Amino acid sequence: MQALREQLKELIVKELNLEGKSPGDIDDDAPLFGAGLGLDSLDALQLAMAVEERFGVPIPEGEAARAVFASVNALAAHVAAARAAAPGG
Amino acid sequence: MRLWITGIGIVSPLAVGARATMDRLLAGERAFAPLTLFDTAGCRSRVAAEVHALRVADVAPRGAAAAWSRTDAMAALAAREALGEAGVSAHDGPLDLVVGGTTAGMLETESDLAELWRNPGTWRPTERMLSHPLSATADALASVLGPFRRVRTVCSACSSGANALILAAAWLRSGRSERVLAGAADGLCRLTFTGFSALGAMSPEPCRPFDLHRDGLSLGEGAAFALLETEASARARGAEPLCELAGWAARAEAHHITNPEPSGRTAAEVLRAALARAGLAPSQVGYLNAHGTATRLNDTMEAAAIGQAFGPAVAELRVSSSKGQIGHTLGAAGALEAAIAALALHRSAVPPTMGLHEVDPECALRHVFAAEPLALDAVMSSSFGFGGSDTALVLCRPGLAPAPARLPPSRVLVSAAATVGPEGVLGTAGGAVYLVPVAGSAPAGAAPAVPPAPARLAFEARDHLDVERARRVDRTGRLAIAAAVQALRDGGLGPLGQEVARSVGAVAGGAFGTIDACCAFVQKFLEKGARFASPAEFPNLVPSSPVAHTSIYAGLGGMVISSHDLAATAESALATAVELLEAGEGAAFLAGSVEEASVAIEDALAPMFAPELPSDVATGRGRRSEGAALLLLESEAALAARGGVGVAEVVASLAWRGTPDAPLSELPPPPGARAAVVTGRYDALGAAMLERSAWRAAPRHEVAPRVGWHEAAGGMALAAAVGALAAGRWDSVLVVGLGRARGYAFVLEARAPAAAGPRPEPLPGDAR
Repeated sequence: MQALREQLKELIVKELNLEGKSPGDIDDDAPLFGAGLGLDSLDALQLAMAVEERFGVPIPEGEAARAVFASVNALAAHVAAARAAAPGG
Repeated sequence: MRLWITGIGIVSPLAVGARATMDRLLAGERAFAPLTLFDTAGCRSRVAAEVHALRVADVAPRGAAAAWSRTDAMAALAAREALGEAGVSAHDGPLDLVVGGTTAGMLETESDLAELWRNPGTWRPTERMLSHPLSATADALASVLGPFRRVRTVCSACSSGANALILAAAWLRSGRSERVLAGAADGLCRLTFTGFSALGAMSPEPCRPFDLHRDGLSLGEGAAFALLETEASARARGAEPLCELAGWAARAEAHHITNPEPSGRTAAEVLRAALARAGLAPSQVGYLNAHGTATRLNDTMEAAAIGQAFGPAVAELRVSSSKGQIGHTLGAAGALEAAIAALALHRSAVPPTMGLHEVDPECALRHVFAAEPLALDAVMSSSFGFGGSDTALVLCRPGLAPAPARLPPSRVLVSAAATVGPEGVLGTAGGAVYLVPVAGSAPAGAAPAVPPAPARLAFEARDHLDVERARRVDRTGRLAIAAAVQALRDGGLGPLGQEVARSVGAVAGGAFGTIDACCAFVQKFLEKGARFASPAEFPNLVPSSPVAHTSIYAGLGGMVISSHDLAATAESALATAVELLEAGEGAAFLAGSVEEASVAIEDALAPMFAPELPSDVATGRGRRSEGAALLLLESEAALAARGGVGVAEVVASLAWRGTPDAPLSELPPPPGARAAVVTGRYDALGAAMLERSAWRAAPRHEVAPRVGWHEAAGGMALAAAVGALAAGRWDSVLVVGLGRARGYAFVLEARAPAAAGPRPEPLPGDAR
């Protein structure tokens, strides 16, 4: 799970061009959107696409996405659960 | 001086022809069906409003169809109809042309772009690629309906068509034109379909503007053109007006690249400003053809803006969105929907918003659910584009609005210039460095040895701008921002965020748009599927994205558009800004061009459009590179109001098509001996034209060997000329920019009296 969290943080920094930040600057529990990293709806779309591309795990749309994107922990839990539920996973 | 519309032509998904389109709009027909042009697998929708009865080969000249896009064909049909309705042809006297759009030949060239990106070494040019540049549509129109005298291609994403009409109005108001054919065209393509899908902005079903349950837009395609002329021109030939173009306004929100300002503040400002320009009260406007895209954010913002702008008069104002019938026609929408509003006025009938069943309480307006007969005095159309480019137009019964006075053209001054090039980010005085020639290209024994431009500049964005704020901006946009920030600071309009920047607009572009980003985007969705198209990159593919990003970063609130004209792109942008300012449109503009080092351009496009250019450093004349150059132009009144005098005055701004001698041969000689000619890229044609001009004796300087053979070189030439004038080197400069059968020329005169300090060392050639 720790490795997955690190991978997700690297993905966030790379996909959202957070040039001034390193993965270590992102707190596991801090909100990703709004107050936390200051990300917005366009970032959410980009991140959802990138997570699906990289991990093969779709991000739900609408309100459900809010919970998944609540923090790195929440996102990692979503990805891990989806992979565990996948056939052969 | 009143401006009349005497002819309108429309190609829409409902019909080819303005009358038939309007009949079907009024009948409540919708044009949505599963898309047949290309595969939509992986997109959120399969539905679009497609123009079916279109055969490019029937419209293009014999043998030229392979180099024509569907966009070109729609444009030609609509433009021909507008001219026919007006009873005008290009042979009846000078006719000028403005074309708006965003995609041009994208559909036809997408697979080429992907292949070019995948295998640049083995890709071979195809005739199709000639339809790719945004300016290709204007060139296609010229080949079947021309010759046109003054031609311009502009983009501001989804308000492009409306801004094309504003530029035409400026030309008429300043006396540059008597008749202008103006409009826009945009064809459906995978890139926009996939991009809007990736943004989650596309509805799976036909769209429902202003409806509580709306869930996004539906795409469409089409074209519309209007023949605009002065009342005097129309009366002289006994032509009847369809309506009068009485008011207009364009501003930038400087808010976000895809999302509108939730408050609707800027949209309300343009609605109010357009009405004020027309001299009409809100209560005189009976109908507004809204932008109404059916996205959650747009429709709520727009309803708020309409409420703010119209006040109590909103109760009687009929509002509808044609997008519920023909979809969002993107770059064409501003022209197409203005044409629909004009026809509603002319036919005394308001078209409905189809798809609207349950009005969103946040969009409470007097919506039109079925076509309504209504006598109208004045109507409006509004358009909002990516990056927050907001435009509104007012059309009225001829004679309703007070006749605008014919004002003398404003004088246009240059208050600063900035470049991003091999010597870094330079301000006004610095640009002159590019006049120092490269060894080998200078008169014998004269110059210090200076290396030619590198292919990619050593430009580090973090050294020049806040990369956190600019994190969504691609390299092209960052080059533009760095130049803009430098020019604003030099011109005394910094620091950023000052309210004064709200009065500055921008006109700048690249010859081929952001081509590498387009190639990468297309290749990815073709190979991996539409699901993996990048939503964050999509807005960067719009040709106007560098100026849109600049507007957001620097807080520019004026009119923000791009201008494109192959190798003379920078010159076309400067001419556009000069023409807008002299006509009283805005107080200040950043104008110029930006080019990114691009494999696609170097290997494919540049050789096709300028085969005579050297492609190799071995020629000793430099090679392709990248760069940005922006001049800060201000109207004399605006500059004086803030206590400035400027560096130079633009005393002549010429634009032409074809290869006539006349524009340069008619220029008066330079006012004194301290004069020079500066050009981006020098060629035999330009040399011959200069030899037949009164400037033949002035020394000539070329900047491409220093800045690279890219399409922004003309902007670097302009900035270098401004630098030399600022340094007191010369009193006047003629800048000439030529492209494929097109040309521009500017005479800049030093503003301040020659400096008392020591004169700069003469450049090699100055003694000539």
